[in-house]
Amino acid sequence: MARDRNDQAYTRPVRRLLLTVVVLCLVSLVLIWRIDNPRVERMRAEIIDRVVPNMEWAMAPVTGMARMLDDFQSYTRLYEQNQELRRELQQMRAWREAALQLEQENARLLDLNRVQLDPELTFVTGIVLADSGSPFRRSVLLNVGARDGILDGWATMDGLGVVGRIAGVGERTARVLLLTDSNSRVPVTVQPSGQQALLLGDNSLAPALEFIEDPEDISAGDRVVTSGDGGLFPAGLLVGQVVMTPDGRVRARLAADYARLNFLRVMRSHPGTTLSDPGGLIGPPWPLPDTETNTAPISAPLLETGELGQ
Amino acid sequence: MIDPVTRHIWTYRLIYLALSLVVITYKLLPLGLGNIGLPAPDILLALTLAWVLRQPAVVPMASIIMVFLLADFLFHRPPGLWTALVLLVSENLRTRRAPMTAFPFLFEWGAFALAVFGLLILNRVALWVLMVDQTTLGLTLAQGIVTVAIYPIVVAVSKFLIGLRKLGPIDPEAAKAA
Repeated sequence: MARDRNDQAYTRPVRRLLLTVVVLCLVSLVLIWRIDNPRVERMRAEIIDRVVPNMEWAMAPVTGMARMLDDFQSYTRLYEQNQELRRELQQMRAWREAALQLEQENARLLDLNRVQLDPELTFVTGIVLADSGSPFRRSVLLNVGARDGILDGWATMDGLGVVGRIAGVGERTARVLLLTDSNSRVPVTVQPSGQQALLLGDNSLAPALEFIEDPEDISAGDRVVTSGDGGLFPAGLLVGQVVMTPDGRVRARLAADYARLNFLRVMRSHPGTTLSDPGGLIGPPWPLPDTETNTAPISAPLLETGELGQ
Repeated sequence: MIDPVTRHIWTYRLIYLALSLVVITYKLLPLGLGNIGLPAPDILLALTLAWVLRQPAVVPMASIIMVFLLADFLFHRPPGLWTALVLLVSENLRTRRAPMTAFPFLFEWGAFALAVFGLLILNRVALWVLMVDQTTLGLTLAQGIVTVAIYPIVVAVSKFLIGLRKLGPIDPEAAKAA
């Protein structure tokens, strides 16, 4: 026992020193992350790139089993599901009829206009590898990355609706920030009324719609589509439907099936044309010679305070 | 011939690393995307602190750094912050465990709860100082409560399935544990 105590007296300061050094290193790592975020995030993407595909052999069977279990559970509700599906099918028949008519009309109108549909809106399909693992981050990892030409900011959809956008690209993997993440903000349009709004993710399955001009014009069931503002997303991708919560907030029920994210489409979007200059005026070129002399006195005091005037 | 105490310690060190990898992998599985309700407990933290409180030698500092740094990177947390805090708290518990070994389980549980909430609060304060976007306080507290609630299960599993018993102050392994 006496030897142990001796031992402790010897090792404890060393241990404490070691702990201090390690903690300082970790804290400086955090500070570096805070200061030079892109570089550390690139490092993170590289680590994920290296680690997660190696886990795939272990993850695939477990994920498969869990999904089978899910499906099996849904068998037990077979009867009600069947009823529900029949009802939906009935509605769908009506919609199909309407859609066919609209399609014909649309084709006729397009023919009249000779419109070229956007050929650049193609997609890359990826498989969901992993989710974020944290209860507060809503993101998934796809098995496509920079190798497949994925870029940051591209929209991601499942078969039906928008799921999120690419935030972080590794060589072989890409991270999709879901619309439900609390960092997600997407400009949207609420369809029949054409109101612009912002879809704010808040860690719930139905993100909130904020900054609506006239909430009275919006009713439950309205379609929410991306507006394409800010060049973030292509315009017109389906996001979901408006729902009103009992506390009076307007939310969007997402069209994408978040419970079963498996295959995702990454929409290859190209930067939209932006208006950067005020547009050419008809007349002499813009900074007129005599306006330059007018602006000179304004910048003169700056020079004096800077002691550049010698 | 390796002496049995050393072999025991090294076996459990490997078991700890393997279990941590399993927990991390499980968390990464794209299963719980749809259900957003109560946040999932931080099993990794419960496991680590439980083992630190029961047999400190099998969870050396190096293991904690490796496991939690990997988790930080994979779970999209600020890299290093949570690791540093867990390291500090676990070292703190390690030095304080000697008098605690004589007390009943409830006391140990209380120490764990204190550690978890201390960690969460320190983490929030650090993120606030660094001006990082945070989730709501309610969610963080809910996660803390769930993590504390799961602690007896973690302890039971490690005791009855893995065979990790609590070391008293007079055990031979405790001497090595310092």
